[in-house]
Amino acid sequence: MQTETEIQSGGGQPVRCLLGMLGTDVHSKGIRTIAQLLRDAGIEVIYLGEHNSVKGMASAAVDEDADLVGLSFSSAAYVTYTRQLVEEMKRIGAQDIPIMLGGIIHPDDHAELREMGVRGIFGAGSTTEEIVEFVRSMGRSQ
Amino acid sequence: MGELADSILAGDRRAAGRLISQAERRDPQAVEDLGILYRHGGHARTIGITGPPGAGKSTVADALITRFRKLGQTVAIIAVDPSSPISSGAVLGDRVRMMRHCDDEGVLVRSMATRGALGGLSAATGDAITVFDAMGFDIIIIETVGVGQSETDIVGHSEAVILLQTALGGDGVQAIKAGVLEIADLIVVNKKSTSGSDKMARFLRESLHDRPMRADGWDVPVLLTEASEDIGIDKLTDTLVQRFYHNSTQDRVSVTRRRQVAAHLTALADVEVRSLTKRLVAGDATPEAWQAVLERRSDPWTLSAQLFEKLR
Repeated sequence: MQTETEIQSGGGQPVRCLLGMLGTDVHSKGIRTIAQLLRDAGIEVIYLGEHNSVKGMASAAVDEDADLVGLSFSSAAYVTYTRQLVEEMKRIGAQDIPIMLGGIIHPDDHAELREMGVRGIFGAGSTTEEIVEFVRSMGRSQ
Repeated sequence: MGELADSILAGDRRAAGRLISQAERRDPQAVEDLGILYRHGGHARTIGITGPPGAGKSTVADALITRFRKLGQTVAIIAVDPSSPISSGAVLGDRVRMMRHCDDEGVLVRSMATRGALGGLSAATGDAITVFDAMGFDIIIIETVGVGQSETDIVGHSEAVILLQTALGGDGVQAIKAGVLEIADLIVVNKKSTSGSDKMARFLRESLHDRPMRADGWDVPVLLTEASEDIGIDKLTDTLVQRFYHNSTQDRVSVTRRRQVAAHLTALADVEVRSLTKRLVAGDATPEAWQAVLERRSDPWTLSAQLFEKLR
């Protein structure tokens, strides 16, 4: 009974994670899977789906008071798009909101992405537990 | 203290987002800021959109945003989706239907999870309305979770409740049942190109016709739309404006305001009562008392009476 009550009350503030895809990337299966997985881990996912603009994504992060922004990529243009998003977040004063990437991310690009300020990179082979643990660690209440 | 309120009154959307999050987690710090903002409000017109899952609530909201923006009005949207009863997580997926407005400064969308509230809204809905009203948004649209028959909290928070239905919403018996159908100020049969839509609209009109006149004298219209094609949205917007006009007499304004304050107070009280209930059941009931009930030496009625005795 006690544990059930604890689950119900959530033990504080659920993490709010914005999840979306930028540009022409249409491979939405992966991001839907992640959205459900995070939901089952007690995260509030603000689901933006595919075809988002950099500007729309950044303003959504602000208006929704997101604790972090998760991007999923299956196309090769992720370095360019991520850079554009980082710049836009800076422009609107939201550079403190962490960004994580998932999908097909080549290890050769990790260093460049980290340098831009990307906090989490989850390419092929990442486990569910790793992703969930990272997202939870981004909550402000922690 | 009061810093967030000052920033919000200066138009800071980041601060607005933060304060709503604080209100969602019942952070005592939020109270003072909300109190300041409340004193600046009272100007926004509020629209509620409710209906079963998949009826097109977000799509109708999106179409209405476009229309009100053309009329020069700014629009804030509070979009509520359910929290998981198991993990307390959520997928808030209403915003995705409204992304074409994401570059428009005159539109603000805030997604919220129900976090255990059962009336179709978040307990912090009234708080979010307070924030957006103080920021000067002309129109506030509140979208409920996909409802069944009983989630009627929206009625207190908005002066124009749109109930969406589709052709698949059942027959003439469904149309006379108690519940959400009774609280609608406007009924909209969306996805009108689906076969059976006209019949549905007829059922609904007939059931409305058989009801006594409403106390506010408002005649509930039944409209047909195909929101994804922007069909029927002109008429819907006109009708909403008529509804606002109808509500603008001195008497009606005070009725609406009273109802909104009552809804806000009820939501705040519910949270307190729910946490009290949890404390009573999970905390105050001793392991011995539990054991007695489990072994049928006592019973739930006796234990409940004992727990409530402490409150009196």
